[in-house]
Amino acid sequence: MYFYAQALIIVFLFSAQTTWLELFSFGDVIPDLALIWVVYCAVRHSRAAGIGAGITIGLIQDSLSGGLLGVNTLSKGLIGYFFSTLKDKFFVEGMIPIGIFLILSSIFDGLVYYFSMGTILKGEVASSFLYQSLPVFSIYNGLIGPFMFIVLDKIDSWLKSKKTGSHMRITN
Amino acid sequence: MPNKGIKSKNKIIIVFAILLFSLALMTLSAKQEKGTHFLDSMVGVILSPFQNFFTQTIQSISDGINHYFFLVDVARENDQLNLEVQRLINEKNKLIERIASQKRLAKLMAYEDDWEKKAVVASVIGKGATQWSKVIIINKGTQDGIRDHLAVVTDAGVIGQIIHAGLNTSKVLLIIDGRSAVDALFQNSRISGVVVGAGDDECHLKFVPNTADVKVGDQVLSSGLGGIFPKGLIIGKVSQVTKKKQGLFQDITLVPSSDLSRLEEVLVLLS
Repeated sequence: MYFYAQALIIVFLFSAQTTWLELFSFGDVIPDLALIWVVYCAVRHSRAAGIGAGITIGLIQDSLSGGLLGVNTLSKGLIGYFFSTLKDKFFVEGMIPIGIFLILSSIFDGLVYYFSMGTILKGEVASSFLYQSLPVFSIYNGLIGPFMFIVLDKIDSWLKSKKTGSHMRITN
Repeated sequence: MPNKGIKSKNKIIIVFAILLFSLALMTLSAKQEKGTHFLDSMVGVILSPFQNFFTQTIQSISDGINHYFFLVDVARENDQLNLEVQRLINEKNKLIERIASQKRLAKLMAYEDDWEKKAVVASVIGKGATQWSKVIIINKGTQDGIRDHLAVVTDAGVIGQIIHAGLNTSKVLLIIDGRSAVDALFQNSRISGVVVGAGDDECHLKFVPNTADVKVGDQVLSSGLGGIFPKGLIIGKVSQVTKKKQGLFQDITLVPSSDLSRLEEVLVLLS
């Protein structure tokens, strides 16, 4: 049940990301729901869950973005790992710490893209990327993310209560 | 202390494993291995029903809202339209005669434009999953005759090329993506260059010599070289020209002829 619910969340996030989320674009920048979900898994669950979520989400993003596979897998996998490690060293509760975590992860994600475009993909990156698109993207994720964390927390606790409920019924 | 050493060793192993896995993926996909195409197709098959659902729902809601506001003026418009219909019926009769004569003339002409006949209309059902990739997903795939490296256009001009054709969906790399490159030439001067995506909503025209006379507003067309885009399709207009004092080439910025942020239907040229 828990696994299927997580799979459904991923499908919903990607469907939203690739269709109606652009309605909320801010200067051609839209939040990255998948990235927020990876940080959520890294912060709220185990390290393995963080890395697993990062690699899975990265693979799907690579598949949907066209071109070379692996760039998003790398960035999201490392984000999953780093932030699951960092959560043991910092107290990540409340809007501000979560927002900061998301801003940092967005900057890291953007920088991986920037350097991979310049090296492996040999593509062009807009000159305004580093001082305009990336900061707006990071701040947007940092603002939207904490609210998404609240929603995901609610879903998670509901799923866990269902799981405990069914377990109690079986033992009774 | 030994525990700390083991922990830091484990951390290095994890980071190294992620790096290795990603690099292996990049290598495999660069070599166009079948497994990576399978992954692309599988994700497309799973997500496309949801993307279709969301796109259609948004379209319906937006249509509903638009129609509601339009209803206010409908009665007034209806009277005007009745008069317009009468005028158009007369015009239509004239046009039918003209079309018949055109058809007769067309039969006499040897000129055939193949790609105009072999094209598939597709709807845009989604966009790339990351902020940085300028990719759209269309609702037609190999079942409809679409394959990799076909040109995708609208009535306004070139928008991109197919980079992965799945069973019933395909991914289109837009000309504004940093990975896109289209061989092009100026409509008037016939000087050639390469249009590459800027990664935002514009393109750059590269390799145009400093000596070439380029003005803002000049139209740029596909040159036909490269084998993907037929010759003569409109790509965009020059929006900015900077001539460097040093260097061989000018810095030219193009605005695509199609509005790539509002694509709904596109045409895939099959030949």
